[in-house]
Amino acid sequence: MDNKVIYVCDNSIDGIFTAIYKAWSSGYGHANVKLEAGCEKSSYSNYELFSEYQTVETDYTLSKKVSKAIINKISREAYEMVCRVALSNYEDKADLIYRFLILGFLAGAEVVNQLSNEVVNKVFKINKFVNNEAHHYLGFIRFSEHGNGLLASIIQPKNNILSIVAPHFADRLPGERFVIYDSERNSAVLHVPGKPWIISDFDGLADFDIDGMTCEEDEYRELWSIFFKHIAIKERVNLKLQRNNLPLRFRRNMTEFLVGRQ
Amino acid sequence: MVILENMSLQKKLEILSDAAKYDVACTSSGVDRKGSGSGMGNSLACGICHSFSADGRCISLLKVLFTNECIFDCKYCGNRSSNDIVRASFTPVELCELTMEFYRRNYIEGLFLSSGILISPNHTMELILETLYLLRVVYRFSGYIHCKAIPGADPGMIELLGWYTDRMSINLEFPTAESLRELAPHKNRKNILKPIRQIQLRRENSGIFPEITDKTAIMKSKAPVKDNDIAEIIASGGSLVPYAVESSGRRRFVPAGQSTQMIIGATKESDLQIMTVSEALYDNFRLKRVFYSAFINVNNDSRLPSTEAGPPLLREHRLYQADWLLRFYGFRTTELLDEKSPNFNVFLDPKCDWALRHLERFPVEVNKADYYTLLRVPGIGTNSAQRIVSARKSAILDFQDLKRLGVVLKRAVYFITCKGRMMYPIKVEEDFITRQLLDMGEKLPFGVDKDITYKQLSLFDDMNFVAAQKGYQSLAGCL
Repeated sequence: MDNKVIYVCDNSIDGIFTAIYKAWSSGYGHANVKLEAGCEKSSYSNYELFSEYQTVETDYTLSKKVSKAIINKISREAYEMVCRVALSNYEDKADLIYRFLILGFLAGAEVVNQLSNEVVNKVFKINKFVNNEAHHYLGFIRFSEHGNGLLASIIQPKNNILSIVAPHFADRLPGERFVIYDSERNSAVLHVPGKPWIISDFDGLADFDIDGMTCEEDEYRELWSIFFKHIAIKERVNLKLQRNNLPLRFRRNMTEFLVGRQ
Repeated sequence: MVILENMSLQKKLEILSDAAKYDVACTSSGVDRKGSGSGMGNSLACGICHSFSADGRCISLLKVLFTNECIFDCKYCGNRSSNDIVRASFTPVELCELTMEFYRRNYIEGLFLSSGILISPNHTMELILETLYLLRVVYRFSGYIHCKAIPGADPGMIELLGWYTDRMSINLEFPTAESLRELAPHKNRKNILKPIRQIQLRRENSGIFPEITDKTAIMKSKAPVKDNDIAEIIASGGSLVPYAVESSGRRRFVPAGQSTQMIIGATKESDLQIMTVSEALYDNFRLKRVFYSAFINVNNDSRLPSTEAGPPLLREHRLYQADWLLRFYGFRTTELLDEKSPNFNVFLDPKCDWALRHLERFPVEVNKADYYTLLRVPGIGTNSAQRIVSARKSAILDFQDLKRLGVVLKRAVYFITCKGRMMYPIKVEEDFITRQLLDMGEKLPFGVDKDITYKQLSLFDDMNFVAAQKGYQSLAGCL
């Protein structure tokens, strides 16, 4: 067959897994298929000549089958890695995951150690990148208190890390109502005491002034900024090191860099 | 002493965070604890940094003193009793509120509570204990707590406190008893070592914590303890634990272990002396961390070295590098330093320095060498060594692969072969490799690297300067 078949799917774990199922079972052969996830920023990349495009509707039953197969035939570790890659901002992630799984179903759990293989190495690096960013946000997310004790936070992560950080905060703050809003993707984690957290599209929050009136009266914002200022040792001031450890992109939503700057 | 009536919480926070900042440790690591389902808080073994202050250091915990009123007069400390400064104290409730409200907003991972000595060590410990009890039991806080044990306090107090904190630390301050006596006349080295030993023994025998016991610990090869104080405290055995309470089940005694801190550059000790003490502490007291704090002469005390030109940051950095080598790379202090060269090389990191003095062990074959041999190669760290070991199970590695695995090839090339070959023909000769490594320079942390030149080094401290001068001359002689 001369033409490549390009499967275009939703930019989500389930979307990608559905496309993997379709491409795998198509019988065209691994070399003749390609996967593309509808990208976050740009629409699909340039159309390729001599290719047939197929749009894949996300199907949760098929996606579940793929998940199960990965866990059973490769490993849970590989499954988690693949999920994190699916949450990344890497453009070719759908195809990368496909190529990784080809190797994985062949080698089994060992595949994650084959770091000298280019595909495995790429997966390893993206996985680490997503993990690191999520870990950063565990510390850098700032809640501000609004009416009725609602805690709200805005973030602009590079990768779609909401579903990674959500369990951490739900476990940590079981008695709080909180929102973590990803303004890049217009989605948010919502948590209410006693109920499981959910992620939902959240257009409403875009107009919601998260650093608005109520929280300026919050004395703890002021106290935190005081602490932040006084804990630095002036003989050791080192703004370059600070910027290396805490890049500017995180600071736009961090209380200690906002208070007193208006 | 200046004491203000009705001081605002803001003012107190200013004073008591200012007074606490010279303590280095701010890690929140060592414990994995899920939330309790009610109350507030959990903990992650890897620790979480919440911010970075202007000095580039991680802020993880609300690090404050309970009070800066202090009856001790340690020469190096800004809170010493002879200083005429504004004094303040929190109340236990104020501290709890502050911790809880900061924690909810995700500013912090928990509380780091230290204190000046108010009235007496026991009195101070009671205040700290009251605070932690409130925080854990009444406010139901399950986040991270690091707290200082006050040397000289009753062992019973330390025992109680240990059930409420995750990590405890007692600062050794200086490597030798003489220095401590000179600069901290109210402190006593044995009073510092005793509670460290007590906490260690309690941790190992709490019935829940599956740590190596003292008996198995002895089987491990240890350097003979030359330090008299340390030897004496070890010999005193179990008598240091006042009474053994059966633990209430869920709670563990100081689950994240202990740490301590030494001030670097205020006294005459060599790097060798400092590292020997660190090693003895790791070996015998099973400390999790020893921190090193570059001395800053906050009181402008003329009896202490001036730090006008900046604290000895490079020296501090070298000690941390060596500390890492002890804890994760299987090095012993005696391999890194000896009586002839008791201080670290200013120009080369301790591992490079060691490798250059042991060229007979190189090059090593990356596809065959065991983990600890790989770790000794400059340019290969714990991460890349682990990756090499797992990747080579399924492939024979080449230099290109090593790059992908995160090996710093430009350093490692002088010390390794892949499939029996070096990357390109290299003379395995000390002078040549030394020159190559010096030429490429070392990636030092920002600030330490500011302007490392021969002249600037003299600013760090006198002792290293002399050593550096000698080192430089002998290096220059080789080139």
